[in-house]
Amino acid sequence: MLFSSITFLYYFLPLVLILYFSVPKKLKNWVLLFSSLIFYGWGEPKYILLMALSIVVHYILGILIERHSETKKAKFWLIFSVCFSLGLLGYFKYANFFIRNINEVTGLSISLLSIALPVGISFYTFQILSYTIDVYRKETKAQKNIVHLATYVVLFPQLIAGPIVRYVDIAAALESRSHSLEKWRYGLRRFIFGLGKKVLLANSLGEVCEIFKKTEQSAVLFYWIYAIAFSLQIYFDFSGYSDMAIGLGKIFGFEFLENFNYPYISRSISEFWRRWHMSLGTWFRDYLYIPLGGNRVKKSRWILNIVVVWMLTGLWHGAAWNFVIWGMLFALLLMIEKLWIGKAMGKLPKFISHIYVLFFVIISFVIFDAATMAEAVERIGSMLGIGRIKVTDIQSLYYLRSYGVILILSIIGCTPLPKLCIERIRRIKWADRIMVILEPIICIVMLLTITAYLVDASFNPFLYFRF
Amino acid sequence: MGEKIKNTVIVLSIGLIWCILALFCWIKPSDEISISERRKLEQLPEFKLQTLLSGKFMTGFEEYAQDQFPHRFMLRKLKAYTRFYAFAQKDNNNIYIEGDYAAKLEYPLNEKSILSAADKFRYLYEKYMKDQKGNIYLSIVPDKGYYLASQNGYPSMDYEQLFNILKNHMEFAEYIDISDVLELEDYYYTDIHWRQEKLMKVAEKIASALGISEELSGNYEAIEADVPFYGVYYGQSALPLEHEKLYYLINDIINDCRVYNVETDKTSPVYDTMKLHDKDPYDVFLSGASPLLIVDNPNAAKEKELIVFRDSFGSSLIPLLLEGYSKVTLVDIRYITSDYLGEFVTFDNQDVLFLYSTPVLNSSAVLK
Repeated sequence: MLFSSITFLYYFLPLVLILYFSVPKKLKNWVLLFSSLIFYGWGEPKYILLMALSIVVHYILGILIERHSETKKAKFWLIFSVCFSLGLLGYFKYANFFIRNINEVTGLSISLLSIALPVGISFYTFQILSYTIDVYRKETKAQKNIVHLATYVVLFPQLIAGPIVRYVDIAAALESRSHSLEKWRYGLRRFIFGLGKKVLLANSLGEVCEIFKKTEQSAVLFYWIYAIAFSLQIYFDFSGYSDMAIGLGKIFGFEFLENFNYPYISRSISEFWRRWHMSLGTWFRDYLYIPLGGNRVKKSRWILNIVVVWMLTGLWHGAAWNFVIWGMLFALLLMIEKLWIGKAMGKLPKFISHIYVLFFVIISFVIFDAATMAEAVERIGSMLGIGRIKVTDIQSLYYLRSYGVILILSIIGCTPLPKLCIERIRRIKWADRIMVILEPIICIVMLLTITAYLVDASFNPFLYFRF
Repeated sequence: MGEKIKNTVIVLSIGLIWCILALFCWIKPSDEISISERRKLEQLPEFKLQTLLSGKFMTGFEEYAQDQFPHRFMLRKLKAYTRFYAFAQKDNNNIYIEGDYAAKLEYPLNEKSILSAADKFRYLYEKYMKDQKGNIYLSIVPDKGYYLASQNGYPSMDYEQLFNILKNHMEFAEYIDISDVLELEDYYYTDIHWRQEKLMKVAEKIASALGISEELSGNYEAIEADVPFYGVYYGQSALPLEHEKLYYLINDIINDCRVYNVETDKTSPVYDTMKLHDKDPYDVFLSGASPLLIVDNPNAAKEKELIVFRDSFGSSLIPLLLEGYSKVTLVDIRYITSDYLGEFVTFDNQDVLFLYSTPVLNSSAVLK
């Protein structure tokens, strides 16, 4: 089920909220578990069993790892947990990728498996892994109540598109959590603004990207409009989803960590990755990069560590070579920054370092969105004016005019400017009073406008659902 | 104001609106059709284990929830206003407004589709007409965008390329260019179609090519429909466009003609005025979409027959050519498979006219 659907907003969510706040505390996790299973099963009924299997296996593994703590058995069960989780992920997400590559290299014609990717599998696999690894590391205790563990895994606000919530971060809240009007207010506001980012901005930007892809001949301008629009779309799509997840989590008494922190204002690629999809970045840092030795190793080993981490980051996003290249581009840029230009960049005028980051991030997302590497190369080449291609044409100018305001609003929305303005207004006493009246009005108008867009919608995918 | 009160006021006001909207969704009886969108609305899907496990129930429910949302048209208007006025976008659902005209962005040119249409027409020619002596003609109806889009900065398909592809792939047909006798004013403001009362020049040009100019009297009385006409773009754009007037042209010959609908086995007049009160008043012309119609003209000067392969644009033009023929057969291969046509139509040296509009040619997958 999509957050940005009438079914979720006006059927599922109100019913779940009514039920959740009507039952006594000890039944709240049952309500969340049951509703989360419906939420997941709504789109993927058959994969509920796969998820249930994963939960039961890791529930047992968690207990076994804890019971045999500091023995070889604990390590064995941990390795079993990693293999089991990654085995499932590998089968459903990467099997066909490997078969295709084997066929290409060897000339064989092994048949592809006819399997669909279970929605959100990359997210919940990483969440489950964080649980067993943290139990092994004794950073948390094994969960004895399977309902609590299942609730953690299937919790619908963050189930299918993150943020990747670590068990240790919400372990206490799973046992006991508080609810308040303050949390409701924050949660509602965050959810509606996240929904607005998704429906009003990301979907509109997505339209122009789709139009571009359907166009056979484009001008340089249209390539840039597409590249910028897609970079903005993926940000608003994903950060909007994270906002909705965090907002809903708050209403249900959970505190999910932030996933985005204005990544497009970064002045270096390393800063960009400290601000973009933070839950994935920290997951790879804590469960892969640091165990590999991090940067406290020889330079050659450190380079290998970076390459491994970023190749896997790329592959996590999708089973295709363009995602691997996308990850490797960031590995290369991070190495260049660390080894050669990092210090010099600090002395550069701000706008130059911003342009450097934005240029490479935009190029990276062109690679990310391409169906093949050849397509990515063609698009990047055309952006740079390579080939006999017009600079502008009637079509590119039309879409620039038609989506200009959305692009400008989106660019402003990527910066902390709106938040700073609101904070400044709130410091004025009388303005703050007005804001109390304005806040619900803005939220209601946004909700109605979003509903209007959904009622008349034809374009509403969540980009991160495919991961 | 204390924080607690602020929180209570804000949460209650948002929550109340949300609850009211949700409650309306739950209790509102389902509507059958959307008049403005001219389509049936999705109904609550059947709840069965089979549909549940296959996911069909969920897909159906999503569509139902979207279609049956209370005040759907008002919300669609809100979206259109937001796009046009808040975000300064140039179109909504691909409909743009230029001056008084609402038009659809018909672009880019889908060459594969045009070639596919040409192949389909060639197939018909080779199967039914190759060994006949009748003359074969082709005429293409440009959509409104031909006169409106590029002149005003909107992207449009390469019309010349479209015309050339068809001309080159249909060398068996004589091409009648009507683009030079049409202008923007010949189209409805809010609809895709052309106005019948403005088609005299088009009718004359086609009649001249068909060799029936002399039979055409050109004397018609324009009858104003007694209902306001809201074209298809009114509903699609969801903007408050003004209604317009619909006229149909009559004379004694047209009045005496009878239209036999092969599919329904019913006979009706050329103008089915009952249709003026249906969801699309344009259906007044030859009763709207039908796979196969046979028009008999008892007052024809000569025993001459015409077969027209056509889309909805033909419905308003063909009545103006009736004087030249004793029998006109109208075939719409969007609704009848070309292979079965021989079971219903005898090709016997009649004149044949392929009359298709650019939007249909550019999405020719609909041709069977």
